[in-house]
Amino acid sequence: MDSSKKTINVKVNGESYEVSIKPKMTLLQLLRNELGLTGTKQACMDNSCGACTVIVNKMAVKACSVLAMQVNGKEVTTVEGLASKDGKLSILQEAFLEHSAFQCGFCSPGKLMSSTAMLEELENPTEEDIRRDMEGNLCRCTGYVQYLEAIKSVVQKRKEGKI
Amino acid sequence: MKDFEYFSASSLQEACSLISQYKDVGKVLAGGQSLITLLRQKLISPTCLIDIKGLKELDYIEFDKKSGLRIGALTTHRAIEKSPLIQEKYDVLSEMEKSVASVQTRNWGTIGGNLCSADPIGDPAPSLIVLGAKIKLVSAKGERVVALEDFFTDYFTTIIEPDEILAEIQLPPPAPNTAVEYMKFATIEAGIKIVSTSVAVTVEAGSDVCKDAKIVMSAVAPVPLITKKAAEMLKGKKLTDDVIEEAAKMAASETDPTTDVHASAEYRKEIVKVLVKRATKKAFEKAKKA
Amino acid sequence: MNERSVVGKPLPRVDGKAKLTGKAKFTTDVMLPGMLHAKLLRSPLPHAKIRSIDTSKAEKLPGVVAVITGKDTWGIRYGFVDTPNYPAEERPIAEDKVRFIGETVAAVAAIDPDTAEDALDLIEVDYDPLPPVFDPEEAMKDGAPQIHGEITRNTSCAWEDWGVARKSHSYTPVNNVAARVLVTYGDVEKGFAEAEYVREDRSRSPGTSHMAMEPHTMVASWDPFEQKLDVWMNHMAWELKRYWLHKTLDIPIPKIRIHKTYIGGGFGGKAPCFDYEVICGFLSRKLCKPIKIELTREEVFSSCRNSHRFDINIKTGVKKDGTIVAQHCSVIVDAGAYKCSAPVAMFLSHAMCDPCLDRKNVRHEGVAVYTNKNFNFARRGHGAPQMRLAADAQYDQICEDLGLDPVEFLTKNLRKKGDVIPNGDRLDSYGLPEAIKRSAEAIKWKEKRGKQRDKNRGVGIGINGMFSGSGYWPFASTAIVRLNHDGTITLMEGDCEFGQGPDTTYCQIAAEALGLTVEDVTLVSSDSELCPMNYSNFLSGGMFVGGGAVYNAAINLREKILRVASEVMRAKPEDIELKDKKAFLKSNPKRSYTFTELMRYHIQKHLGDPLIGYGYKKAVPEIEFYPSLSKGTGRFTDAYGFTASTAEVEVDRETGRIRVLKIVVAEDSGYEINTAICKGQLVSQAVQGMSDALFEEIMDDEGRVLNPNLVDYEIPRAFDIPEIEVIDCSDFEPKGPWGAKEIGECARAAVISAVVNAVYDATGVRVMKVPITPERMFNALKAQEKK
Repeated sequence: MDSSKKTINVKVNGESYEVSIKPKMTLLQLLRNELGLTGTKQACMDNSCGACTVIVNKMAVKACSVLAMQVNGKEVTTVEGLASKDGKLSILQEAFLEHSAFQCGFCSPGKLMSSTAMLEELENPTEEDIRRDMEGNLCRCTGYVQYLEAIKSVVQKRKEGKI
Repeated sequence: MKDFEYFSASSLQEACSLISQYKDVGKVLAGGQSLITLLRQKLISPTCLIDIKGLKELDYIEFDKKSGLRIGALTTHRAIEKSPLIQEKYDVLSEMEKSVASVQTRNWGTIGGNLCSADPIGDPAPSLIVLGAKIKLVSAKGERVVALEDFFTDYFTTIIEPDEILAEIQLPPPAPNTAVEYMKFATIEAGIKIVSTSVAVTVEAGSDVCKDAKIVMSAVAPVPLITKKAAEMLKGKKLTDDVIEEAAKMAASETDPTTDVHASAEYRKEIVKVLVKRATKKAFEKAKKA
Repeated sequence: MNERSVVGKPLPRVDGKAKLTGKAKFTTDVMLPGMLHAKLLRSPLPHAKIRSIDTSKAEKLPGVVAVITGKDTWGIRYGFVDTPNYPAEERPIAEDKVRFIGETVAAVAAIDPDTAEDALDLIEVDYDPLPPVFDPEEAMKDGAPQIHGEITRNTSCAWEDWGVARKSHSYTPVNNVAARVLVTYGDVEKGFAEAEYVREDRSRSPGTSHMAMEPHTMVASWDPFEQKLDVWMNHMAWELKRYWLHKTLDIPIPKIRIHKTYIGGGFGGKAPCFDYEVICGFLSRKLCKPIKIELTREEVFSSCRNSHRFDINIKTGVKKDGTIVAQHCSVIVDAGAYKCSAPVAMFLSHAMCDPCLDRKNVRHEGVAVYTNKNFNFARRGHGAPQMRLAADAQYDQICEDLGLDPVEFLTKNLRKKGDVIPNGDRLDSYGLPEAIKRSAEAIKWKEKRGKQRDKNRGVGIGINGMFSGSGYWPFASTAIVRLNHDGTITLMEGDCEFGQGPDTTYCQIAAEALGLTVEDVTLVSSDSELCPMNYSNFLSGGMFVGGGAVYNAAINLREKILRVASEVMRAKPEDIELKDKKAFLKSNPKRSYTFTELMRYHIQKHLGDPLIGYGYKKAVPEIEFYPSLSKGTGRFTDAYGFTASTAEVEVDRETGRIRVLKIVVAEDSGYEINTAICKGQLVSQAVQGMSDALFEEIMDDEGRVLNPNLVDYEIPRAFDIPEIEVIDCSDFEPKGPWGAKEIGECARAAVISAVVNAVYDATGVRVMKVPITPERMFNALKAQEKK
């Protein structure tokens, strides 16, 4: 069996990487261990909790359950890629801050990526859309209320043409 | 996870050739939403993975009025959920897909991968079976088409040969005067299913007599279960509450569920009664309007 | 200082930018050069002697650096309760026998986690099974397998180290009893004799998981030159963890540094000393390499501490008008294989409840019993949720039996503000009456209670009280506030941040005292070397004690600044105000000096003193030690938080599925320093309480956990949450910083009771065992129909 390393090319947060990895490496391990991007978290390793959510080619996926080989040639966005390089938070990050939408913060990167992807896809999500699309992100600290309020505030600002 | 050799197929033909070569030690990888969990838990240890996720030729949703719907095996759950075509003509699939796992899983996981994993609580299989689905299996040796209801043989087991790849799901055109309802029961909205059912009801045109019915259950047997006797009790009858209730009881008696941490076998049977009753009633109401 | 400009506001959290950009470092993110990974081999048997362990094959696996067993750590002891009478019996690795499925029997350090895990499969353990016992009542019978023999310490126990003069002695459990508690006051027999109605009921609460999002993790790095251990770990108080690392590894306290990491959730589950922590430090010192141990989610569910399993027998006597005259509670805590905090939980189930209502004559007795199962620790309420389920459900039933209204019943039995309760604690703040009133109003109690059964809907109420810290080593917290050259301040306070918000609220407390903004505060927190003595965040004393120390330190600096300003301005300190980094005359604000100027002046004129504020707060000033757990006498806390919660549910009678429509949480937390953070605490407990009432249970069979993963242990997600209303019923606590006291763990218990009682109102079926899963509800309804 030849399980030797393979080379992949992947763009992460706008930067191109060429990495040599073992095929069994997951996208989560690639991000955290190889690229030092520890913002994406490992919480259940069971494809259940969504803390490891990142965006691959505009789709929210759980990095613990995607082989790194499968993002060869693709574009990945992690929580580190949401704010601008010179320190301007994204609209959702601002909303999370304003609405105290996090507590311990361990699941927050995953929540941010899921809601970022959802808001890119849906112009005007309803309450039900938001709750359903956020189902994949488990949170134990907040009870979800302020988190949902943060997302709804962004939707409202959109409606009002403020953003 | 244990180490493995990895190939990325660039065509279906190449994939067939590779799986033929490595059929004793290899597995086909699509979205990996079932497979990677199995690898991590060391429940399986293939020494070779053939990655077909990149095969665009298996990613499509096409409809023809005469032959019906064809879904490429690598179509993601999310694509099915969001497809305007499916929402229009086979809306039960779109409704069912909304409750499959989470958005993240649906974005990457494929319908073909889901069917091959043969999870007894899987959502798509019952809905597809009730719609009369067939699947196309291809290998280096050729291809065959089988009814989906004959595809599953036991827990996590199908008739797929080690060198075969599930390539396509085929559905007949939507039947007239027919409605299909999917219903599930779980403790938590997004939680593991205790029972789910898909019910198709066809009415005689312009009447409220049931012409045909099909009831398929999941999570009550090692494979998706077609409760034939229950469906028979509905055919040719006006679907009053009593008729539906009796059929639902019959459906429960046809099941042989197990007891696990989520529910006992007895309770599952009780839920079967309730779900079949409610789903049949809803399907019947919709069919009358169709 | 009448207008509050910083406290009382929903200011953005100071840890927000770090957490929302991925920059925040959690323990699981710590990666050091040359770091090895360790994995633990766990016992597959609930009770067995270890005949031998052969680690030779594992040691030979390429990539494996070391394998250790109980032989290497023999004799090391620790435990949450380690007193002269009850010495600790936990150990990092099993020695001659295993006592539960999941007990560590060996540890492997390797170059990566996969290799370490593969090596576990190569370790051969020869077990000699012993008969196990799983039920506490069975375990207490004569002839039951004895789980512990003589428990001794070959070093001093924790209490001795912490100042108690008695020497520890060995303890041999009889009939597997780990500890007992008995608290009495009044005359219970007389009370029952005078009662006009007596009810006796039994309730059961299962073990549940904290399910904090970050798995238990530690990184340790031994420096052989400095003989120092650097540690990054999940904890809820570094003083306690550092003490246990010092004690178990024999490293002087100052030679252990616990670095700040953000912690991904606590809820009580990360406070006590764990086997993997001692093992991590041990391996690092042995190998002189950084070691990381990150537990899998399955290990956290099945081998880390879960909440206590309680069986409660409760007997209450009342007058016909609902006045409680006597109560007798018998509590059995299924402790599991080691006692950990079971003795404390038994006591707390009384202590948290006593401030709520006046029960006149009380007898509360309990026994913590060893069984061959995983053992437990506090979870958000530590005995109170279990007790409130028993009491509130019974009160609800008493009302049903006597034709009384539960809200009126609770109100009738309330204490009064200023009351001194039987153990000597005084209720200087007591917002429970207001909380009951307003939570009932918010759920529309009068319109709905008893009136919606035809719609299968109902409302219920629950209450709870919670201490704000108690006497536990080191008994006090401290803080330092330094004035910086630019007039801002640096706050140094040791509390850790696991989501409950002290990084933010303490900055607010300090800023308010000095007329500054939160942006003017540089925070140094959660580091054992940089921060002064710290108390803890697992005794609900964060705000009251830690925040209290911050307040005292800030006020101390304020007084110093006012003194300097009065010297410079030749005015009385009371005529001077501080704001925007300036001191100015109230009567003539243009006469002002900046903090920078005052600091410069003070350094020059006062022998170099740059103005540093120093503060401390003792959790309970009047006591020297922890109240007697077994007798429950003596002062307990200086302030209690209070909650009343109401809930409305709808039951689907055909399936038994319960849908919660609304939860109201009315909270007295003294004063809400940060209203958004407080709302988060209450919403959190509303969802956790609902989940405990309806979904959560660690299920086990013959000692094996059946649902150690998120698929089988279900927790609410965004779609499952009902309408949640939180109401601020704060009653100013004079001894708290700006009036604040605890908020983090009171409400959960009240919500559990509220939901359970609402189910009764909706169905007429009383269930006193949680969780009320759809199947349990269904069966209960069927049983009701048969009657």
